[in-house]
Amino acid sequence: MNESTHFDAVRQARRITEQAVGWYIEQQEPLSERQRAAFLDWLRASPNHVAEYFAVVQMHGDMKAAAALKQITATELVEQARRDNPIVMFPHMEKAMPEQRPVHSKRSTRSRHLLAGAASIAALALVWLGMAHWRTAEVRPQQARMEHYAATDTAQSLALADGTLIHLDRNSDIDVRFDDRYRRIEVRRGHALFDVGKDPARPMLVNVGGHVLQDIGTIFEVRRDSGGDTLTVISGRVRVLDAQKASSKGDDLPLPGVAIADLSAGQQIELDASGASPVHPAQIAQTTAWLPANISFEHETIANVARSFNAYTSTPLEIEGEQLAQKRISGVFHADNPQAFVAYLSTLPNVRIIRDADRIRVVSANQTETKSGHL
Amino acid sequence: MRERHATWSALFAEKRATLSSYFLRRVAHRWDAQDLVQEVYLRLLRIEPADAANIRSPEAYLFTVAANLVKEHALLRQQQPLGSDELEQVVEQLVSPTNLEADMDSQSRQQRLGALIDRLSPKCKAVLIMHYRDELSYREIAERMSISTNMVKKYIVKGLAACRQRMAEYE
Repeated sequence: MNESTHFDAVRQARRITEQAVGWYIEQQEPLSERQRAAFLDWLRASPNHVAEYFAVVQMHGDMKAAAALKQITATELVEQARRDNPIVMFPHMEKAMPEQRPVHSKRSTRSRHLLAGAASIAALALVWLGMAHWRTAEVRPQQARMEHYAATDTAQSLALADGTLIHLDRNSDIDVRFDDRYRRIEVRRGHALFDVGKDPARPMLVNVGGHVLQDIGTIFEVRRDSGGDTLTVISGRVRVLDAQKASSKGDDLPLPGVAIADLSAGQQIELDASGASPVHPAQIAQTTAWLPANISFEHETIANVARSFNAYTSTPLEIEGEQLAQKRISGVFHADNPQAFVAYLSTLPNVRIIRDADRIRVVSANQTETKSGHL
Repeated sequence: MRERHATWSALFAEKRATLSSYFLRRVAHRWDAQDLVQEVYLRLLRIEPADAANIRSPEAYLFTVAANLVKEHALLRQQQPLGSDELEQVVEQLVSPTNLEADMDSQSRQQRLGALIDRLSPKCKAVLIMHYRDELSYREIAERMSISTNMVKKYIVKGLAACRQRMAEYE
């Protein structure tokens, strides 16, 4: 199924739900003549409206019983709601938490050192990447020194000091070398997904066999199999260049040469020694199948959580509004279901969801709400 | 006809939730819900503009049309008719649900819904639980939460819409 068609359908369904709920709630007080006519018009506009209205009515019938299952007192509810940084307890959270702590303590001395070294962004990412089934490593490559990372039995997540996040599949290894001019990474074997941190002063160059990938603020996946290399761009754009011979200074990573192809979100290309295939559309779900099925996070900013979802989708989430972006939440979501996360965000106060063709904007509506606030 | 509508409207206002869950249960288990929706929709389309203006409660009208269709359908299929035209009788049957299967369904639905409520933002969750479990009015909730009644309403709409969207994913 065409992804954008599916996307439109989801958006459409959500709008109908919101309208149905809005109308349902309006009925609690007698409708004005104009509202009655508008409601009837709405019902008559589509059988989908009628069906959704029935569904909302039915759910409303269950709501009382569902709410009655809750043990929490009203005072506790009010207290939870009042807290500035909401912690949303999700079912798996208790499971995720203890596994995360040892990672923290084991590296605490180093973390403190790094924090002192103004690498707080890496520390943030460390928390974020505390996924239940993933080992977390924190990395800060030193200048002009090659760091080698390998994932053997389990997939790994790396958080580099520049904010770049890398997921390494099993049996994969990469070399990382950052200096003042470039951020260089070589994929030696396996699968790696890159979510490149922003650093305009130092371009990120990723070497894959005889090719160099130049990233322009993006998420992409590299796969090195015996059959050849595959590059898939999840979001943003990537330029593929031929690799030149290594420079004379003993720099053993080759520099970029002639540009071969430009890829944008949802595109894929196969590369091997003889050259490159034509650029073609990718099956994103297939490409990211090796990534963890859940996204879990504890006391993480909404901006970072959104970013982790973006590894799975060509319609990235964008959080607009600094206050909203920095709000901290906790929980577990299915990675292949960013809609659930968006649905959660839409329940936050003054948050509006705007769905564009190529992205989902989560906008913090700062303007004071109007009294008339039509639904 | 108009008069009966008025009576029904009053009854619906009173028994809204139970009545609708009653007929939805009937629909789910005795008839294809989509057929019902289609038929209800067609009947809504057939309303003359002059009559449309006279419909005091479109919602009650909607349920009336649906309830009538369920009844007609039962008659057509020679099943046990749902009783006479008297709505009171229908309402009475609501109090003693007999369809075990339907009850099981509603129980699992309610549990799923309960889990979804926990996933809402804390304010949204607090408003929904206080409204549905503790039966507090918007005004009472507004006072406890120190927000406007308008915001309370917004949270209810947001919370219900989010729950409904997630429930739809199960269907």
